[in-house]
Amino acid sequence: MGKYIAKRLLRWIPTVLVVLLAVYALAFFGAGDPIKLIFLRAPGDVAYDPVRIEAMREAAGLDRPFIIQFGDYLWHLVRGDFGNSLVSGRSVGQMIGHAFPITLKLGLAATFILTIIGTALGVVAALNHNKWIDNVVSAFALTIWGIPVFVSGPLLMVLFVKVWDIMDVPYGWHGLFHPMVILPLLVLSLTPLALIIRQARAAVLEVLGEDFVRTARSKGIPSTGVVLKHILRPVLTPVVSQLGLVIINMLNNAVLIESVFGIPGMGQLTVEAITGSDYPLILGIVFVGSTVVLTVNLLVDVVYPILDPRALAKKETIDE
Amino acid sequence: MNKKSNLTRLAMKGILVLLLGIITSGILFANGGGEKESDTGQVLKIIHPVNSGNWSPLNGGGHEVRWLSLQWASPMYFDASGELKPYLFTDWNGNAGSDVWTFKMNPDATFSDGSKITADDVIGTWNLCVRPSTQHQRVNLFLSNVVGYDQVAAGNAKDMPGLIKIDSTTVEVKLSQPDPIFYQKLATNLIPPVKISQAADANGEQISEWWHPKNGVVVSGPFMPTDMDLDQGVITLDKNPNFFGPEPKLDRIVITTVKDAQTATLMLQRGQMDAHTELNTPTMIQDLGPEFAAGAMLAKGHHFWLSGNKAPTDDPLVRQALIMAVDSKQMFEAAFPDGPNEPATQLVNKVTGVDASYENFPYDPEGARAALEASSYKSAENLPKIMFVGISNPSHEAAAQYVAEQWRQVLGIEGTEMKPNIDSYEGPDQQNIQIFRDDVGTRVPDMVSYLMGSIHSSSGNAQRKMGGYSNPEVDALIEEAATKAVDDPQRIALAQQAQKLYRDDWHFIPYRYDTMSKWAMPWVMDMYKNDDWQVIEPWKVYIDETGKP
Repeated sequence: MGKYIAKRLLRWIPTVLVVLLAVYALAFFGAGDPIKLIFLRAPGDVAYDPVRIEAMREAAGLDRPFIIQFGDYLWHLVRGDFGNSLVSGRSVGQMIGHAFPITLKLGLAATFILTIIGTALGVVAALNHNKWIDNVVSAFALTIWGIPVFVSGPLLMVLFVKVWDIMDVPYGWHGLFHPMVILPLLVLSLTPLALIIRQARAAVLEVLGEDFVRTARSKGIPSTGVVLKHILRPVLTPVVSQLGLVIINMLNNAVLIESVFGIPGMGQLTVEAITGSDYPLILGIVFVGSTVVLTVNLLVDVVYPILDPRALAKKETIDE
Repeated sequence: MNKKSNLTRLAMKGILVLLLGIITSGILFANGGGEKESDTGQVLKIIHPVNSGNWSPLNGGGHEVRWLSLQWASPMYFDASGELKPYLFTDWNGNAGSDVWTFKMNPDATFSDGSKITADDVIGTWNLCVRPSTQHQRVNLFLSNVVGYDQVAAGNAKDMPGLIKIDSTTVEVKLSQPDPIFYQKLATNLIPPVKISQAADANGEQISEWWHPKNGVVVSGPFMPTDMDLDQGVITLDKNPNFFGPEPKLDRIVITTVKDAQTATLMLQRGQMDAHTELNTPTMIQDLGPEFAAGAMLAKGHHFWLSGNKAPTDDPLVRQALIMAVDSKQMFEAAFPDGPNEPATQLVNKVTGVDASYENFPYDPEGARAALEASSYKSAENLPKIMFVGISNPSHEAAAQYVAEQWRQVLGIEGTEMKPNIDSYEGPDQQNIQIFRDDVGTRVPDMVSYLMGSIHSSSGNAQRKMGGYSNPEVDALIEEAATKAVDDPQRIALAQQAQKLYRDDWHFIPYRYDTMSKWAMPWVMDMYKNDDWQVIEPWKVYIDETGKP
């Protein structure tokens, strides 16, 4: 397993380098010179004076060739320095250091909730296959899967705040255990919840017909015991394998949810970085994002064989 | 079977308890949450739509500059009736040639730490604003005529020799050409004198985050920053005990970043917040009432500018067809069915010289079709896709959609596209955008200044939005008008002539004149804003607690 993790980490380095190079090139060769953008986007009373703008670009080091700028960036990155934002002048490391834990906490809390609720609902639906409970749970999963977060977020806010008038507008970040976090957490969990419900339901249906379940039942083991000891474990395997997808889905949705609820996490930071063509910030976010995706996939790969030891044997065969 | 049902019931019960727990705790506690609040006193809570993380008063642009008057005293200011008032500068005089100006400062003017504001601070600040590394966006509007400006702006010199300290409270400014309205241009918050020893380093460059309270910033305005959470985008300002003007009525101002317009509207409706930096939605009046958007008319207009160097608007007949196919009054009504603002006709508004004899572009569908047939393109099928940019809020979207629909109905044009920014377009499209929605105006009540910043070939508007528009006759008339004294009738006559000539070049679809909405709920009293977006006399603003929901 250690060798496998080391291999994965070594593969990650060139992948990240290629991604960083591609993103830097897109920002550099696209329409994205941040100093020019300040003036291009400014209202008409701001004069577009090429001489002064060139002097500003020089002062910010943006007039240097692409390869020099990119090399300089990598050199600083190796030493743990993400550089400074071209828009605010603040340290990118500090900005990400503040935003990332917020998104991480929100994401982990949502993952925890949706895994418990999603698995439970999926199991309940499967145990009542083709009955009304199954139909209701399946319809619920389809509905929440079909509503994008940019609809569900404002809709729930209007319902809770305006129509029912039972709370103030939840806004900003006041910690994970602050009540203001409940609505964004709910919205963040909704779409991936559908994935987990459907996955768990399908897995239970598959397992219910297996010999070992029939054997367990014939031995007189109580139904609760059969589910908890014999059905749940194989069901968790596909659920865990979905978590990688779920977390990536949540990172994408965080952009919208954080904007609607004013949460200063990675989603908001990404929007600010892209709209300002702030390359050091964009690259910092890409670096952290790719690290998260790698880590999540690695964790899934590590947990998977624990739940299903056959997977490790298969993986080792493939690797050989 | 029974055991399975029991398990189902148990699981369902567990899920219900978890969900109910989450929702109940939300309902019970959510009203208690929120931003940091003052325990007592008058607190104004403002919504700000962006979080750039940069509150330097020397940016000259961005949304943050709109709250500069809260923290920084300007040299002079225009009051709600448009009258020029002394502030940091109490007296100003120009020589006969209008190229040397002397400004006397208020001898009692102090920063928030009690130290005096001096001529060195004024000169140091203005030099710092011009230096390229400061990235001030509008300094040319105020100081471009100062001797030595070009050298400093190009990064070839550090200081402008045209700024001279006479004594600790007197500044003399030498201009490279006569400017009869130079003193009016200084009535702005965009170049506010700061404590230069705090803002600039030994090399004369702006120090990173010197304006942050963690660095002990001292300010000259009625409120001083006491807390800035740049990650959350929450700024707290408290009453400045050493302010040299009248004592402010508010104790605290909290500016919170809320990007989503719907969320912001809900917060204002519920009284969670009191004011907004700039909220533009077509349903603003229905949502927040007419008082929210009320305010004085500005010398500022939003229009759709047609580029003269991009196909097909490089053909004057196509421009004529596109303009005549639009009823600009109906377009305005599509964007602002309940107000505020006013539909635009001529380019200038709310300045001396608004031309009563000016004839607006006609709405003439037949004439529009004839112009298109006479153009080099002959018909709509031969036109390339027409792209709009600057369609950055729901009101602009409604106006642009109306224009596109009129073109479809009148001229048969099907291919139109609209986006908020130039970089929202991809590939070669970025270089081929034909229509820019943008505003022009003037910060001083002067028609020549208005035209200089919007249709003179040196203006950013002519260069960027109209594709390098340049009519030598228009330029010559504006330049000549600029040399005339403020009270010389020729100044206005020449400017009006320039505006008429520009009209005949068919380069813009008039959209609207802006009201300087206060963007504040009715319980925010005595809050008015000037043409520079600034709160006029912020010390007068207070909250009428009885009016809050």
